Amino acid sequence: MLNAEVSAHGTTSNIKHRASNIFWRILGLIIAGIFIYAGAIKALDPVQFASDIDNYKILPWPISVALAFYLPWLEIFCGFALVVRWLYRGALSILTALILVFTLATIAAKVRGLDITCGCFGHASQNWSFPAHLATNVAILSALMALWFQSAAKRSATTAG
Amino acid sequence: MRSSLVRQVLILLALALAPGVGEAVYFRHRISWQSAVLPSELVTVDQARTWGGNVIWVDARPDEEFASDHVPGALSLNEDQWNELLPQFLAVWSPGKKVAVYCSSLSCNASREVARRLRREAQLPDVFVLEGGWEAWLKKNR
Amino acid sequence: MKTPIVAFALSIIISLSARAELKWEQTTVELHPTAADKQAVGHFKYQNPGKTPVHFKSVHASCGCTTAQTQKDEVPPGGSGEITATFNIGDRTGTQVKTVTVETDEATNQKTVLTLRTIIPQQLEINPTFVFWKQGEKPDPKAITVKVGKDFTVKHIKVTSSSPDFQTKVEEKGNGEFKIDVQPQETKNLIASTLTIQPEDSQKVFYATARITNSPVVQ
Repeated sequence: MLNAEVSAHGTTSNIKHRASNIFWRILGLIIAGIFIYAGAIKALDPVQFASDIDNYKILPWPISVALAFYLPWLEIFCGFALVVRWLYRGALSILTALILVFTLATIAAKVRGLDITCGCFGHASQNWSFPAHLATNVAILSALMALWFQSAAKRSATTAG
Repeated sequence: MRSSLVRQVLILLALALAPGVGEAVYFRHRISWQSAVLPSELVTVDQARTWGGNVIWVDARPDEEFASDHVPGALSLNEDQWNELLPQFLAVWSPGKKVAVYCSSLSCNASREVARRLRREAQLPDVFVLEGGWEAWLKKNR
Repeated sequence: MKTPIVAFALSIIISLSARAELKWEQTTVELHPTAADKQAVGHFKYQNPGKTPVHFKSVHASCGCTTAQTQKDEVPPGGSGEITATFNIGDRTGTQVKTVTVETDEATNQKTVLTLRTIIPQQLEINPTFVFWKQGEKPDPKAITVKVGKDFTVKHIKVTSSSPDFQTKVEEKGNGEFKIDVQPQETKNLIASTLTIQPEDSQKVFYATARITNSPVVQ
């Protein structure tokens, strides 16, 4: 039979559903990959990341240090959660919150005229411009929200069916 | 359903704590929780004085400022003429010596940049930035 | 998280009141000089959309390496102009961020920080730029790694030593990487050499230093 094509949520083997499932799965993997990569880059140099967070001049230094050690791992774990589909919605929520906070902080920094060289990808993205950063964040945020709604739709479909 | 979402979030938040704490312990000597500048990178005028003849003073300020006055025995090393001045500095350096880099005051950045390049490019150990810079030295010595 | 939102809202409200206040086209300018440039110049254009003239009280840069000039000290209503910031690259490397603080007599915004971000292209990255042997140490070769910058292609490099007491050997590792092995004839005397590293077909010269140093004094 066509069991091989059945997704984790046990939907039908209809071709359109399969293609749609594969699309969402790939999108999820791309987003997961982005966060795992971003988290790994920052986890490798938490000292630099603490300094980058401090540049936003929003948080006191000790908090910047604590976040510099903690946030990258949160990104990595949530990324993996998306990949293995365990704690999926929890991971989506956390990543969405992270991106939102981060985007607001970037806008605030821009408004205050601060020169921010840190992006989602740590010091590696220091040569990006503000519009590029903003566009990237918005794209990631949209993807996360799309994944969330797709997951919610799936859940109500399975609970209804 | 809501509570399972909260549970998922809490589990993820808790999971990330372990490696986060692990890194904090691993990097504990490379970062200060009190101030943004690594404490082991800064030295006060008094501390530098205890090094006696074992310290090399480096003036990171522009030429004109160095020419007008500087710490006795200090060498000029700035980013405008790095390539020309670095070999002159290296001629004076030897293993075991401590290097104290200063620029005009607490707020200037040149000494940190010069110190960073000495550590990273020339891979010298024991390179420090003088807290308060030339201003601080003047206060203690003149 | 309230602070950034409040700051954001406030700045919208403030910018809506078109009092005597300069409008800047950009407050951050990013420059990409070529490897041959000695200076990088940023232009910060402004306009006075208000009804009263604006006077510049001071324009000063964060470091001596950057000079900034206004074309005029007073901007009439409806007038425009620019502040030119000239950054002397010197022997600096990497991404350099310098700021110019502009003080005016504007009613609501007396200080504006203009940021000049200069990305200095690095044709070769040399690590370390200093190799040394302690007096009496065995004269084994020490390695210097040369990496070609990502926007450049360098097929060969030429290394010359200013002193015949130091020998150099270049190994092409491929993938934009070279290894220079430096070896002194002996380490008895406090000899030194300046190594000149030049990419083929290029005027630009890079340096490294090799020397024999004093042994640390045992205290």
